[in-house]
Amino acid sequence: MQITVNTPACVGAGQCVMAAGELFDQDDDGIVMLLEDSPDAAQQAGARRAASLCPARAIKIAE
Amino acid sequence: MTGSHSIVPDTDAAPKCPFHSPESVFEGSTPLVPSEALGALRDEAAAVPFLYSDAHQGWLVTRHSLGRAVLEDPRFSMYPRRMPLGPSGGHPLDIDDRAIHSVHDADLLSLDEPQHGKLRRTVLGRFSVRAVRGYQEAVQEIVRSQLVHLLEVGSPADLAAEFAQPISARTHCFVLGVPDDQVQKFISLFVDKSTSQQKWDFVREVIELRRDNLGDDVISDLLGSELTPTEIEGVLFVLMVSGRDSVAYMITTGTHILLSHPDQAALLRDDPALIQAAIEEFMRYGTMFVTLFPRTALEDVELENVLIRKGETVSVSPVAANRDERRFEDPDVFDVTRDSFGHLAFGHGQHGCVGQQLARLEIRTALGAILAEIPSLSLIEAEQSRPLPWASDLPTYEAGSLVVEWNAA
Ligand code: HEM
Ligand code: SF4
Repeated sequence: MQITVNTPACVGAGQCVMAAGELFDQDDDGIVMLLEDSPDAAQQAGARRAASLCPARAIKIAE
Repeated sequence: MTGSHSIVPDTDAAPKCPFHSPESVFEGSTPLVPSEALGALRDEAAAVPFLYSDAHQGWLVTRHSLGRAVLEDPRFSMYPRRMPLGPSGGHPLDIDDRAIHSVHDADLLSLDEPQHGKLRRTVLGRFSVRAVRGYQEAVQEIVRSQLVHLLEVGSPADLAAEFAQPISARTHCFVLGVPDDQVQKFISLFVDKSTSQQKWDFVREVIELRRDNLGDDVISDLLGSELTPTEIEGVLFVLMVSGRDSVAYMITTGTHILLSHPDQAALLRDDPALIQAAIEEFMRYGTMFVTLFPRTALEDVELENVLIRKGETVSVSPVAANRDERRFEDPDVFDVTRDSFGHLAFGHGQHGCVGQQLARLEIRTALGAILAEIPSLSLIEAEQSRPLPWASDLPTYEAGSLVVEWNAA
């Protein structure tokens, strides 16, 4: 699995950090930071959940 | 006589207005028990024809999936501002020109991109998950001291006035950077009643007090930003009026929910770690916004087989969407163990609540303290059990008073 984030689209509501704090964080301006672009098997459900909750559709997942 | 000349009108043929008015849909609604009319409309369709108070036609979105789709769609504009229960487009007339200018330039919820995003990005960093973690100790201290205050007031007491309202006001001042000696004034203007102009004057006074005394807070960030003076005043005004009442509402309503669901309260008391995720269920079940701010279609938009024509206005109902059985099983059951993420209580999309992580921290800390420290708490009377007047031209619930009693230790 490969995760990419579209930072210009991010609205900074932090849904991704709540869903998968080990994969996503927010920088000092509140914008998403990808901590890990290739999640291991145990992290993939969190990645999918983050992508589905993101209100800006800023998280893309390639399986 | 035969039946062919019955004087009973043929109801199928009687003309019936297809548009639903806000009054008819929301009447009788209360935070824990939304109106039956709203549920019936959700069964009827994902969006129903809706008539605004200025006779403008549009749609009320009742189902979760369509609500989410509308809120994510850039083909809708926040402008012109048209409220379900009030006049359209008008700015408040009782404020000075400079404030009108600020509203025009910086009222986040009536602006589109790129101006909206430019302003929002100047304050986002103070409301991220990480930034809010940094407020944890301060919020715990505020909640602790308000709990001491509540216990000193003694049983019975109004938990909304003695606990919920001051927690949200003090936290708001702390995060924004309102000086400590101005907190009482903030409370008297923003929690008690005042005119809009008095609020604008206060925004400017606080900016002057802080201009040569920057620190680690929202006001300092605004003053250090590229924004114009009217934009800075406008954004600060928005932040001062947004969410403070909502947090107080949610702490009050959350306590009301706990006191009317003792089995769920017991689950949370037995396993305090549950509260983190359970906050989403409090938000879903006790949703404050009956409708969000209206959006108007910039072009014809077809979503999930609903055609919203250019110029038509759409009001998404989080209260209806969060009790949509297509999204949440047994939606009228309050269940702290369910997965309630994805609810629309904080809105969704580009205008989704800026302060939602801060709100979660405040609500979690306040409800956690009540569960742990006053196990004998019980309800005498919740004013919100009966319909209260709407807080503004947008139908959102008011906290009302929550009179509770407990056994002194
Ligand atoms: C339980 C508490 C809260 C609730 C239920 C709540 C709810 C909402 C909702 C539903 C919206 C979107 C309105 C729409 O799209 O029409 C919103 C936006 C907003 N909220 Fe909150 N809110 C809460 C707390 C806060 C707090 C603590 C703040 C902090 C200052 C805040 C600041 C804002 C701002 C600035 C916006 C406008 C965002 C934009 O237009 O980009 N809210 N809130
Ligand atoms: S959920 Fe989406 S919009 Fe929110 S912080 Fe993460 S990437 Fe940004």
